[in-house]
Amino acid sequence: MSETGGRYYLGVDVGGTFTDVVLAGSDGSVRIGKVLTTPGDPRDGIVAGIRAALDGAGVETSAVSRVVHGTTLATNVVIERSGGPVALVTTEGFADVLRLGREARVEEDRYDLFFDPVPPPVDPRLTFEARERMDAHGKPLVALTAGALDDVVARVVAAAPSGIAVCFLHAYVNPEHERAVTAALRDALPETFVVASHEIWPEIREYERAMTTVVCAVVGPVMAGYLDGLQARLGELGITCPVEIMESSGGVMSAARAARQPVLTVESGGAAGVTAAGIVGHTAGFDDVISFDMGGTTAKAGIVRHGRPAITHDFQVGGKGSFGGTRAGTGVPLKIPVVDLAEVGAGGGSIAWVDAGGALRVGPRSAGADPGPACYARGGTEPTVTDANFLLGFLDPAGLAGGVTLSRDLAAEAMTRVAEPLGLTVLEAARAVHEIVNATMAAAIRVVTVQRGIDPREFTLVGFGGAGPMHAARLAETFGIPAVVVPWAAGVASAVGLVSSDLAVDLVQTHVTDLPGDVESLEAVFAALEHRGRGELGAGDDRAGGADAGGFVVTRSADLRARGQAHQLTVELPPGPFDAADVPMLTARFHEAYRDAYGIDTGAPAQFVNARVRVVRRVDKLTRQAEPVTPHDASVARAGERAVLFPDLPDPVETPVLDWTRLEPGAELAGPAVVEGPDTTVVVPPGWGVAVDRWGNLLLRREIAQKP
Amino acid sequence: MPTDAVTPTIDDPITSEIIRNGLMVAVEEASIAVVRSSHSSFIQEGADACAALLDADGGLVAQSTTTSLMHSASLRCSLPALLADVPAASMAPGDVFAQNDPYRGGIHANDIVVFRPIFAEGRVVFFAGTLIHVADVGGISVAGLAALATDTFAEGLLLPPVRLYAADEPVADVIRIIERNSRAPDKVIGDVKALVAGTSVIARRVGELADRYGAGTLVRFARHAMDHAERQMRAGLARIPPGTYEGAFEIDGDGVDADREFTVRVAVTLDGSGGVELDFAGTSPQARGMINSSYSQTLSGVLYAVRCFVDPTIAMNEGCFRPLTTRLPPGTLVNPAPPAACGGRLMTVAAAVEAILGALSAARPDHAVGASSLIHVWTLTGVDPSGQRWLNLFYEFGGLGARTGKDGPDATGAFFLGGRSVIPQLEPLEAQYPFVVRSTRLWPDSGGPGEARGGLGVETVIELLTDAEVTVRGARMDIPPPGRGGGHPGAAGTWSVERLDGASEVVPAKATNIPLAAGERFVLRTSGGGGLGPPERRDPRLVLDDVRSGKVTVAGAARDYGVVIDVERDAVDAGATAALRAERSGRHE
Repeated sequence: MSETGGRYYLGVDVGGTFTDVVLAGSDGSVRIGKVLTTPGDPRDGIVAGIRAALDGAGVETSAVSRVVHGTTLATNVVIERSGGPVALVTTEGFADVLRLGREARVEEDRYDLFFDPVPPPVDPRLTFEARERMDAHGKPLVALTAGALDDVVARVVAAAPSGIAVCFLHAYVNPEHERAVTAALRDALPETFVVASHEIWPEIREYERAMTTVVCAVVGPVMAGYLDGLQARLGELGITCPVEIMESSGGVMSAARAARQPVLTVESGGAAGVTAAGIVGHTAGFDDVISFDMGGTTAKAGIVRHGRPAITHDFQVGGKGSFGGTRAGTGVPLKIPVVDLAEVGAGGGSIAWVDAGGALRVGPRSAGADPGPACYARGGTEPTVTDANFLLGFLDPAGLAGGVTLSRDLAAEAMTRVAEPLGLTVLEAARAVHEIVNATMAAAIRVVTVQRGIDPREFTLVGFGGAGPMHAARLAETFGIPAVVVPWAAGVASAVGLVSSDLAVDLVQTHVTDLPGDVESLEAVFAALEHRGRGELGAGDDRAGGADAGGFVVTRSADLRARGQAHQLTVELPPGPFDAADVPMLTARFHEAYRDAYGIDTGAPAQFVNARVRVVRRVDKLTRQAEPVTPHDASVARAGERAVLFPDLPDPVETPVLDWTRLEPGAELAGPAVVEGPDTTVVVPPGWGVAVDRWGNLLLRREIAQKP
Repeated sequence: MPTDAVTPTIDDPITSEIIRNGLMVAVEEASIAVVRSSHSSFIQEGADACAALLDADGGLVAQSTTTSLMHSASLRCSLPALLADVPAASMAPGDVFAQNDPYRGGIHANDIVVFRPIFAEGRVVFFAGTLIHVADVGGISVAGLAALATDTFAEGLLLPPVRLYAADEPVADVIRIIERNSRAPDKVIGDVKALVAGTSVIARRVGELADRYGAGTLVRFARHAMDHAERQMRAGLARIPPGTYEGAFEIDGDGVDADREFTVRVAVTLDGSGGVELDFAGTSPQARGMINSSYSQTLSGVLYAVRCFVDPTIAMNEGCFRPLTTRLPPGTLVNPAPPAACGGRLMTVAAAVEAILGALSAARPDHAVGASSLIHVWTLTGVDPSGQRWLNLFYEFGGLGARTGKDGPDATGAFFLGGRSVIPQLEPLEAQYPFVVRSTRLWPDSGGPGEARGGLGVETVIELLTDAEVTVRGARMDIPPPGRGGGHPGAAGTWSVERLDGASEVVPAKATNIPLAAGERFVLRTSGGGGLGPPERRDPRLVLDDVRSGKVTVAGAARDYGVVIDVERDAVDAGATAALRAERSGRHE
């Protein structure tokens, strides 16, 4: 790697166990730093990881022109409720907007007489009503008088909260009152984080908008301090470029915006993974991919269509995994766009058990990193997915990252716990555990595909994360998916996604009107959003260091619903100004989307609900260089062989083991095979072949017709 | 769909687990499709719907979990009527059937049940079933809220099992009959099509699984799953101390015979080896009003209440029903004779649930629960400035009963309803209808006082912008949810109207078409949950917390709990509290 010329970009993904750092050069070179996460202050691990990557590559810190960070800080603050006391200022009569919520019960809880409702994130004594009221058309029903404003500001100031959320009814259509109160609070408390609902997400539905605003106020003070500190720590290293943060819908934003609107970072890490899957898929020639990321405790599935991650507007922080639809009552609901991920409690550490009726189950309990799977010999005694995979021969007894040697005896002893009551041999039980965890993960993939009306057979599976590549091909078989891509840096794929992404911003404005409606006012709504989006991405600045690859890309879409129905559908609009000629196209697309979603036609006329705009600014990022492909036998990278029991075969078969670090583009082999990389293991089942593409990805293809 | 093409057998736990997941996804997916495409906000937000897969004999194989639990037994009890009228052998692929007769497994007129036979090798192996509360099927009241109906014919069009689709095309004659009997023909046909689409989803997914594993394997799986659930149920029931436990719950009225008493009585007998008998002897004769519960609905309630005392994760299928012997005396509230009206059956079903929860609370004092509030339902309707009639069906929840060692949750769908029943948000309502919600908040002091406090009800004030009419159907308002073990009842919910001249009029729990002028306000308060244990035993610190969070007033703390709060110091006045509590216990002795 060159020491002079060229710029370098850092991707920093902080996970539960590891902090992954990817250092990418403008010449396409890549260096990886993987260190243990430091939960006390994640910035210690970040600095250590960056140091390791830079030193390893011999790169000067002054050459770093971009740092993109994926963080779980916002999610952790919300789930652990570790933020400071936050005040909510709301319309008179609605102080209980959060406490009442949707009054929902979670289906898992329904037979549980002793369930605990999710407590609201704001102390009732820090909820303040302001005497004001807008109607649904934005007309003041109760004007906000100077006296009412002074009164509510005085009460909030006296409570001295650490953050303040302001959310008034119908502020999405007329934010005048919110603006006045917010400005007065900022004047009175210049050091306090204050955010208003119209600033963060001006969309109809008061409970979710209020919750989105409150989460912003809860996370804001923590995020600002964290990012300031990170910038300072990087400065000590000699890295001076402003830090950027991955936001939940897969774009990158400035740290300044992340500090102002921290709620946008809730699925920062998950978005990086799906983005990475999309990029890898695209370079490998697949624009429609299923992203499958499996770690120690959970597996996440998402999809990328036409090169773009699928997005949901019904996200629940800490919400329980489920079969689609809104999941009221399961967590903290947010209206912002978030990559549509289905997460299930199925990872390498998930524990197998036998239920009261004598059926084998896997998860959701996990052995985690401590004590970890039984085979790690760190005191774990319960059988985990990793133990099963090890017993089946997928994992190398000698080598695991960190120098852990795996114990077959301990794994077998643990597996006996479920094998005995079921009358199975240890190996049969291991195979059952492997297949059941596959079924659980298949359910997650179903959520983001078939339940959204998407046929998974038209997709390619991208499998990554520490455990993902071991299960990916088998999962693909379940859905009749013919090809699997394992990314060239599968163990740090999310960090690669960070450093491969452009700047982006998503904006919304509710504007309820029957179509065709007033086309000019609709265009004005879109134009204002677009203007604001360009401003957020620093239109006009030159991105210090000249790191601007040029150009903005704007996408417009609209939420429509059949008049009288509550659920709405999002349809895309052509770029550029919206005019009367576009209305028939818009309604036609809506009716088509309706038919796709529900299988029937709606006779009702379409109603416009929300305008949505996404602005992307193309910037410098990792562009991987392709290498020439020379077809050859991958056996040159053969490191040995071992007996592996595949799910469909009666007995273990001797299977070649390949060393991924010795594989060159063009290397090919027919399965079965096991490919061992530095931090992940890839299983190529019988009937599948593996080839290394020009980017260094492993491309697994099913070579024979599927069994009947 | 080949029957025996594939090797995996159901003795294999792996295939079993995969099929289990696959079938659950199929019914869940169907329920989502049905809920989303329906035209009623009651369904879209309240999930008064369900989707299920049943075997050729009508046994429940898999049922959607995200929908209302009220329908646990609806589909499995309705299918036998279809099979009696239309033998499976006479069905053809592409047939879809509809029915809603409460006396043949149904619920009430507005809950339409749809079945689609699923074929393998020329014979029916499964049925896909879906159900929603449709928009309007006639009857004396808009949207099927016939609060004062005295027979089922007043509640809307009744459909015996009829062929709705043949060869995947609508049967025009039947569709026209349904259309002609509805005030909202477009909506009701949209709802019916959504039901049919839901059955298609199930049939398609089951077909995919059958292609992979063989239909014979799926049939074997179904039997295996039922046996498994039965074993789990019996294991749980065997852990409850054996004996006979009695419970009773009084309903506050049927809206017709004001002087009559309506009580559901049950004797629950556990044999100690996994069997349970529920005998409803002594339950009041059926009502003239619409509170009667057809047998399928009573069974849903019975199964729900029993399941609250076993492992909550047991899969819902036919096996869950098997350990239960349920005796429902004919001609009573829990098993009425035709043509009793059934639209308000929830009152009786929920009373049956409370009676069983009460009986089993005695069997398991460590797992006891006070009575809960019930859904409060009302309809607003009027004519907008353009001359269009508008109508919206609303519902609101009250407090749940206190639990041993835990307060009852505030304003939450009753234990029985639970799940996806969520309250619609106000902004979208105000954007569609001519009214303004002036306030909505937890109602202080409404939770039933007790050592563990009942959950709070809600108070909401709605101001009309045009003239309108309100129809109300409340429950547990005249007789509020009782407490248990010395706990007090929750506050009784109320409906009232604030007139333009400032007068406030109380509206009865059940009333129809009360006129409201523009500018007048409709005020509703939902009942609180019952308390558990004597309130004098409640920890004063918990009372202080309640005062701080606005759930109990300072006056309420003294009146209901004998706890004196020092407002200045934001603390319990320990001396005054001890004195007050001593004085009260002295007075009791």
